[in-house]
Amino acid sequence: MLSTALTIVCAVLLDRLLGEPRRFHPLAAFGHYANWLEGRMNAGSAWRLRGLLAWALALVPCWLLAFLWWELPVLRIFIDVLILYFALGMQSLREHAQRIRLALQAGDLALARMRVGEIVSRDTSQLNEEAVARAGVESVLENGNDAVFGALFWFAVLGAPGALLYRLANTLDAMWGYRTPRFFYFGWAAARLDDVLNFIPARLTAMTYALLGNTQHALHCWRQQAGAWASPNAGPVMASGAGSLCVQLGGAAHYHGVCEARPLLGAGDPPVAADLARAVTLVQRGVWLWLAMLLLLGALRA
Amino acid sequence: MLEHGGQLRAAAARYGIPLADWLDLSTGINPIPFTPPPVPPEAWSRLPEEHDSLEEAAANYYGTQNIFPVAGTQAAIQALPRLRKPCRVGVPHPGYAEHAHAWRGAGHEVKELCADEIAAQLCNLDVLVLMQPNNPTGGLFASENLLHWHEELSARGGWLIVDEAFIEASAAQSLVQAAMPQGLIVLRSMGKFFGLAGARAGFAAAHAALLANLREALGPWCVAGPARHVARAALLDRAWQQAAKIRLRRDGQRLAQLLRDADLPPTGGCGLFQWVQTESAQIMHQRLAQCGILTRYFAEPSSLRFGLPCCETDWLRLAAALDQEMVCTP
Repeated sequence: MLSTALTIVCAVLLDRLLGEPRRFHPLAAFGHYANWLEGRMNAGSAWRLRGLLAWALALVPCWLLAFLWWELPVLRIFIDVLILYFALGMQSLREHAQRIRLALQAGDLALARMRVGEIVSRDTSQLNEEAVARAGVESVLENGNDAVFGALFWFAVLGAPGALLYRLANTLDAMWGYRTPRFFYFGWAAARLDDVLNFIPARLTAMTYALLGNTQHALHCWRQQAGAWASPNAGPVMASGAGSLCVQLGGAAHYHGVCEARPLLGAGDPPVAADLARAVTLVQRGVWLWLAMLLLLGALRA
Repeated sequence: MLEHGGQLRAAAARYGIPLADWLDLSTGINPIPFTPPPVPPEAWSRLPEEHDSLEEAAANYYGTQNIFPVAGTQAAIQALPRLRKPCRVGVPHPGYAEHAHAWRGAGHEVKELCADEIAAQLCNLDVLVLMQPNNPTGGLFASENLLHWHEELSARGGWLIVDEAFIEASAAQSLVQAAMPQGLIVLRSMGKFFGLAGARAGFAAAHAALLANLREALGPWCVAGPARHVARAALLDRAWQQAAKIRLRRDGQRLAQLLRDADLPPTGGCGLFQWVQTESAQIMHQRLAQCGILTRYFAEPSSLRFGLPCCETDWLRLAAALDQEMVCTP
């Protein structure tokens, strides 16, 4: 457990120092592979089954590759750190949020729309300042789960292969898990499996957000609002996060050209640019809390 | 210097019609351009700085980080030939003449090729320059062909240069890729689709090493501060871009239909212009000019290029002038 905690410290520091790999991102290569699979398999009948098969074909080779490396005893510690570093996206989250905040604070709405458009799947071309800030804060809170706590959880439970499995499953959900005609059935497996893998991490993330902000508010919003959200895991995460930060999130948004009515989350004022920094700080404090807990657990066991 | 469309002053003098009375259809520039935002005074008073988020907006719009702003694609067209030792260059004929002119001027051996000669001649070339869609013919190449030609050329250190000046007004897929490979250079213009020809702003997308050479060749402050400001705003305005694409598709079809109705069926074209190959091109050009309508005349092959009219009055004026029976007044 202590070595797990130390590996996490190394990976978190590496992520902080280097950020996202710029020249060659393994997830980009994985994305090409997944696209290729989708092009071949998303056709004909039995779409759900094909989707499940494609999911397995996408993940299993990568996972086996990582596992084989991981079995080499000398390399293990390096591979552990490296895989967790690739699975973590804290620094990239921080940078994206900061770029959106700076554009908003400079009064450059067009630039802010473009920057927030890079991290959310909704149509951002008509958003006003408030809607840009809202989309950005929602994305930070949700990605706090997907790119940080989810990966940390599965690393703590299953080691590097766990973190890798989680990150790739999450990527497939982001690529295929849409309710558009093209992905309605094919993306079903990717979306459901991501839900399963995220069930516990999402609740731990929601708990973390609640503990590190306005706890009472957060727990109340979680209980009252999370159930109404379409996604079973994003609901608790965003409701608790919004409550913890005392901002109002959710509400109508355009996805793939369709206006989707979404329930309101949180309570208080609509978000402003500065709330992007507050949301990042919330996630960052969560990381320190998790590290402290893991180190403590490790020390107690040792 | 080569002759181009858009030379309204010369036409005004030649035909004795005041400048303001002309309907200029001699270019393929969007007649309803992006409305430039007010330019902040610092854009005039300070030296332009790289990475003032113009590069970022371009990366987002074009879909690659491997992109470099130039003072109109003309700047890149002139600089690229000087980045290679003399070699064999294929340029399309008919096609935008600046490419051939620039390569010849830099001492390269230039071969003019018809679209259907390219595949057979590729083995005799080091550099192939194409336009997608072609100007003025509007001809398109299949993306598979272009990628295949690029592969063959780059395997022996050659280049494929694709000038995509009019691509937003066509059905073609851009060849710009997130990670631009060696030997592929794509030129993109802000002058045509965005209608910002006077800003002299364009982009070159290529492998990072080649872009570094291009940057070196062009020197610092290549694009003026106000042009950077306006280009950035245009690249960021997705709502304007979507609306403009829809309008150009509609207006392009309308222009093609208008020409067909006037017994001048277009040989090719795109959303921003229609190209009519006809023996009577020169007479038509002069007749329209006498009505105060400037078109672009090409002697070889004998043809006319029509840009888009802007407002309804202009459409009616063109329709009237094309109708042989009517007596037109400038």
